Amino acid sequence: MIRQILTTILLAGSLLGQVEFGGYARNYIGVLTEGDQEFAIIQNTLDLTLQGWSGSVSYFANPTIYQSPGKDLSFDLSEIYLDMYFNNTDIRLGRQQIIWGKGDGVFITDIVSPKDLSEFLLPDFDEIRTGITALKLNQYIGDQTFEFVYIPTFTSTVFADTSSIWSRTPDFPVPMTTDYSEKDIPAMLENSEVFAKFSGILPFMDYEIMAGYMWDDDPSMHITPTYLGPPPALSGVTLSPQHHRLSVAGGSFSTELAGMVLRGEGAYYIGKHFQAQNAMDYPIDLLEKDYFHYLLGLDFSKGSTRFSTQFIQQAIMDYDELIVQEEAMNTLTFLANRTFLRETLTAQIFAYAGLNKSDALIRPTLSYDLADGFEVLGGANIFVKDANLGDEEDPGQFGYFDNNDMVYLKVKYSF
Amino acid sequence: MKNLLIISTILILAGTIFGQQLNGTEIIEMTYSRPTSNTMEANLSMILENSRGDQRVREIKQFTKEFGDVEKKLMVFLKPNDVKNTTFMSWSFEDGSEDQWIYLPALKKVKRISSDSNSDYFMGSDFTYEDLGDRHPSEDRHKLTGEVSIDGHDCYIVESIPNDEEYMYSKTITWVIKDKWIGYKKEFYDEDEELLKELSLVNFDEHGDVIVLTEVKMNNVQNDHSTIMRLSDVEVNKAIADNKFTERMMKRGIR
Repeated sequence: MIRQILTTILLAGSLLGQVEFGGYARNYIGVLTEGDQEFAIIQNTLDLTLQGWSGSVSYFANPTIYQSPGKDLSFDLSEIYLDMYFNNTDIRLGRQQIIWGKGDGVFITDIVSPKDLSEFLLPDFDEIRTGITALKLNQYIGDQTFEFVYIPTFTSTVFADTSSIWSRTPDFPVPMTTDYSEKDIPAMLENSEVFAKFSGILPFMDYEIMAGYMWDDDPSMHITPTYLGPPPALSGVTLSPQHHRLSVAGGSFSTELAGMVLRGEGAYYIGKHFQAQNAMDYPIDLLEKDYFHYLLGLDFSKGSTRFSTQFIQQAIMDYDELIVQEEAMNTLTFLANRTFLRETLTAQIFAYAGLNKSDALIRPTLSYDLADGFEVLGGANIFVKDANLGDEEDPGQFGYFDNNDMVYLKVKYSF
Repeated sequence: MKNLLIISTILILAGTIFGQQLNGTEIIEMTYSRPTSNTMEANLSMILENSRGDQRVREIKQFTKEFGDVEKKLMVFLKPNDVKNTTFMSWSFEDGSEDQWIYLPALKKVKRISSDSNSDYFMGSDFTYEDLGDRHPSEDRHKLTGEVSIDGHDCYIVESIPNDEEYMYSKTITWVIKDKWIGYKKEFYDEDEELLKELSLVNFDEHGDVIVLTEVKMNNVQNDHSTIMRLSDVEVNKAIADNKFTERMMKRGIR
């Protein structure tokens, strides 16, 4: 099957005038440092890019094959689209990744392409995005661009399989069953998503203003309790993940100040469903609230080291004390990067720090280019949990994976 | 600012006709304000060679265009493969300020970057970003220290000391070819006033009154590493659309 798909893509590409191939082969092995020191991942990847063009039309396909010992080959066609170029207009049609915003590693206005969280936030950012089938139209007015995106069918965030070490399921002290019957959004015209953005790169400042009418990529968990009694006692729950409509408007900017790049990004979301405690103190109810999500970031260099830091806050409007999530969730990101030996050796550390739960994910890496296009990268993922938290307390999105610390090695050849 | 320099250059030229000796500042101003093309398109190869003779090659397609008081440049990286289709764009203003952006295909995003990293080396080569730009004559104090004939070229020798004591070089010495106003050789001295790098002109092309340096070699004498920068398929004053220097083209690349 995979061979047939690849052959079709290659043949279709070769019909266009000029064709260019590229991609990479990668071996990726990671082992958990705690417990039985299991291999968290052993994966061989072949990522192909194929680009063909003829006059004002071009074609792009990005098939990827993943192989892991003891598993079937897995195939992903993250992008496959046609571009049509006109004088001041471009049209892209097909499965594509659309990236917006000025933030790094944060999803505030960058919400057009959903995420693949099957390995949490650990894959490279181009692998965290899932492609969406969409029509994208860009109208250029000098250095400014109007972009319109129409997505006919909804694509949800991909979550880790329940057997995965990256799975995070609701915790109830009673038996749970899951009902997926309401999860999918029927492919109908009225269920489409639309986004629009006006952006510009100008002397001294870049900006984006965006709006969207979308489905929440992350499903809300509708929970139906079963009580036995009297007195009534919770005996079971049925979880029904469902997606809800969201409206969003926001923007972002970046500018250079005194040798540093200042970045900002913010968006106001209308109609998010938050989990809330019911009368018996179980997180069973849903409350619909708006929230504001924003960041401020600074990029600068000190000597030969490049730094980048961001403060991110998600604040729920008209907060209700019954909501499980705190009113304001604060996160910091930090990046330091330095190259040595004429940019062949790169040392980097990237970290997320959750300020509410005192949890963190710290990711040091060291990479070396053995030859042009041939990179060996070693790294670690260190999850930090607040040691003072009790077992019943929420350890935060990073602290939850405290037992998943791992070291890994990636060998990648780009061609 | 550059217009003022061109006027002063005309006055300097008039002075030389009447037999006046040029001083160091006037010579550097002549090299700074020599005719340049309004547009240029070329393929750039950088060959990095270490002391063992191992070579690494970087290939770039570059476009440049003057827009009144701003010069815009677009560079599309073609090799090595892991940086293929990465694009760098800069807008350099006459007041010395600069805006820079980079497009990384893996991130699918154009990012504004700080232009305050001019002392960083460009793609692991022996050239810093500053070495690749036009340093304004007023940023240094210049002194004519002699005249010499090298390889058949009559040259002025000008020593330049930066006004900014924190500048990455303590001084530079430039050999300027008299009738062409281009540097034939340049030495860069580190903060300890030790010779750090030597830049030498290997080849140049003349397109009317525009001279394009098509091959230069920078040799770092302290670590025995060198970089050859070679331009090919050079086209000057060719019509390049204004929209070549936009976010749209950064994402699209050379097509």
